Amino acid sequence: MTLEVAVSSGAPIPLDVAFQVEAGELLALVGPSGAGKSTLLRAIAGLWQPDQGRVAVGGETWLDTARGTRLPTHRRRLGVVFQSYALFPQMTALANVMAAGADETRARAVLELVHLGGLEARRPAELSGGQQQRVAVARALARDPAVLLLDEPFSAVDRGTREGLYAEIERLRAHLNMPVVLVTHDMEEARRLADRIVVIDRGQVLRDGPTEDILFDPRALRGMGLREAGATLTARIDGQEGDGLTRLRSAGGPLWLPRISGTPGDLVRVRIMAHDVMLARRRPEAISALNVIPGVIESLLPGDGPGALVTLTVGDEVLLARITQRSVQAMGLAVGQSCFALVKSMAVARHQVGREDP
Amino acid sequence: MDWPALWLSLHLAGWTVVLLLPVAVFLGRFMAFHRFAGKGVVEALVILPLVLPPTVLGFYLLVAFGAESPVGQLWQGAFGGPLVFSFEGLVAASVLFNLPFAVQPAQRGFEAVPREVREAAACCGMAPLTALWRVELPLAWPGVLTGMVLTFAHVLGEFGIVLMVGGAIPGETRTVAISIYDRVQAFDMAGAAQMSAVLLAISLVTIAVTFRLSARAGRRLS
Amino acid sequence: MPLPRRHFLTLTAAALALPAQAEAPPVIAAAASLRFVMPALTAGFAAAGGGPVRVAFGSSGTLAQQIRNGAPFELFLSADAAYVQVLADSGAVQAAATVYARGRLALIAPHGGLAVDAAMDGLAAALARGEIRRFAIATPEHAPYGQRAREALLHRGLWEAIAPHLVFGENVAQAAQFASSGNAQGGLVAASLAAADTLRARAESALIPDAWHSPLDQSMVLTPKAGATARAFHEFMQTPAAQEILAAYGFAAPEPA
Repeated sequence: MTLEVAVSSGAPIPLDVAFQVEAGELLALVGPSGAGKSTLLRAIAGLWQPDQGRVAVGGETWLDTARGTRLPTHRRRLGVVFQSYALFPQMTALANVMAAGADETRARAVLELVHLGGLEARRPAELSGGQQQRVAVARALARDPAVLLLDEPFSAVDRGTREGLYAEIERLRAHLNMPVVLVTHDMEEARRLADRIVVIDRGQVLRDGPTEDILFDPRALRGMGLREAGATLTARIDGQEGDGLTRLRSAGGPLWLPRISGTPGDLVRVRIMAHDVMLARRRPEAISALNVIPGVIESLLPGDGPGALVTLTVGDEVLLARITQRSVQAMGLAVGQSCFALVKSMAVARHQVGREDP
Repeated sequence: MDWPALWLSLHLAGWTVVLLLPVAVFLGRFMAFHRFAGKGVVEALVILPLVLPPTVLGFYLLVAFGAESPVGQLWQGAFGGPLVFSFEGLVAASVLFNLPFAVQPAQRGFEAVPREVREAAACCGMAPLTALWRVELPLAWPGVLTGMVLTFAHVLGEFGIVLMVGGAIPGETRTVAISIYDRVQAFDMAGAAQMSAVLLAISLVTIAVTFRLSARAGRRLS
Repeated sequence: MPLPRRHFLTLTAAALALPAQAEAPPVIAAAASLRFVMPALTAGFAAAGGGPVRVAFGSSGTLAQQIRNGAPFELFLSADAAYVQVLADSGAVQAAATVYARGRLALIAPHGGLAVDAAMDGLAAALARGEIRRFAIATPEHAPYGQRAREALLHRGLWEAIAPHLVFGENVAQAAQFASSGNAQGGLVAASLAAADTLRARAESALIPDAWHSPLDQSMVLTPKAGATARAFHEFMQTPAAQEILAAYGFAAPEPA
């Protein structure tokens, strides 16, 4: 059941996009705000009509302006998770899920699937942000949709909870045998969840390809916006140090971070912002940074200003560093070189460390 | 106490509410959810009776529905009696005159339904009428009900229009408001006072109910 | 949503439960000057074997206008001949008009207030002393008693002086209400109203000479909608019994034709 999308329109923003998503594949639509990502999603859902376009799922045509076909939204077998969750406030979680057309048994089963068992009788106002989000996902899945659409579903949730939700989605992937389209402006999110990424800027497709390829493509990275650039390293807690630090073990060696509660062996994900990373050609001495992570330069992307974004591979993970172009030249950095990434322990805030279980 | 007049007034108010309820729901919803060319004009037309002196509306209704008008003649032909000076004529005038009281609060009620919630209803597979019943009305009903309560109370107080289009015919068009006027002219102050007290009480209850409903609507959406 | 639904249904049921209306009694349009005599007349009619009737009061001009616009009145008891003539001219009625009584004008003022006399000397004096703030008459625009009041005041030479102080009742009964309640110092109203017990209890009155204004030949006419009961009432109004009742309430007998 492949999803085929081709949309072209003048207003509200000029759009000219086409892509395909296979069954079971998760495609991330990434780009800066205003690029047209949500508009595209709405076109797939039938909430917005482009001047010209075609949307087809499996054999069913949902939209074809050339032939004048347009299936109304309520007749498209869709599951949509809105940015604001858009839960029905007067209904309980269970009723919300059943509103999508599921009977009680199936509704309860789906709520179990997203780990909300026991909370079915609560109204949205009585649930936390993360829990509401999961009700929204359950409601979207309850219909057994032909396509699952997620419109920046994690943007309203704090970082810590977000990590947990990413893990949930990854776990759910096994049950998702339909094409999934995720809209996000967070490239870390796209890296974590997507099989393929379509980078959109100002209504045009910049790049369309497998996640791995995109993340090392300078043009794509530029299109995704460098301001929020950061990467995530997975690490295991090794032990608690006496002076308030926690020692962890990662693909890049030992890490020390301000105290993270947990027991040795616990898995955490550490988000490291590109602007907190310094680079060195040689392992430095007599500096304050505790975390010295060896890596290999995968790409160098100059920005429009004085900055540049360097992508490092660390084991099978990635780290990003934002430094000046001057330094890139002065240090003679080049693709393929090994170098060290320096990260201050104190630069990693508590909310940037996420646990496996929320 | 002119019981037939009170009964008549209650019937007039009841019928007006029943006829305006679907108008309030569908027109109010349409105005809340859609933007279209000429929306301002439609809104102005709906509000018009609020600022129009009742006698002006009464005059135009007399001209439009009177015995000498096409509509009046049609009605006369179909039902044997005139449209004006009949209960049915009063209902027609009442429905037109109370349009803003019914539609405006209902529109506000529907406007308070978040757009994404409506879209979510469609994405859940609900056809528009199903979505109206299961998602929109449960959220908008305080507004709709406020409109109905205001309309009911306002009809009980209608005077100018009823006088011009009704004719104060006992049992047919002599509402409580007219009856009070009549009692005063007949020097029956006691009777007038009794009926005025009843209408005053109804107005106070209306205000209280409307406040309660607004508070409830506000709580629900916060 | 159990709560609002239940209430709504109850409301609807109540609203739609219309009272069963059997053969409804005919509606008679009566000038406001007949306000107090009508109950006696309808009782007399019932005693004579007639059926129940309904009465709508108003100024003669207003009632005539309503008849022209299709009001379902079956008999029109006007306060003068002019408005009936208007209806005849416009074709709204075909039957002939009959004068059923002659009306008189009366000066009234609350007890202990303005000095009331037939020549209106007390009124003239009070006006001269600047004591009159408000004086009530029916509106000359569409009430016969208002028109006659104006004529009488003109005849007596008081119109200019009193005009700025006039308050107009929508019909002569409302004028009587203004004048007797003390909201106006006095008024010129129908003698039939001034003679009623309710009014005599509050106000002095004096009959104005009928030479001072054009006649108030109170005329009645059956409308095209008149049924059997209305016709019977029309007949009854011309019987001696009815004439006695009218006389008792301050009306004069119709001038012989």
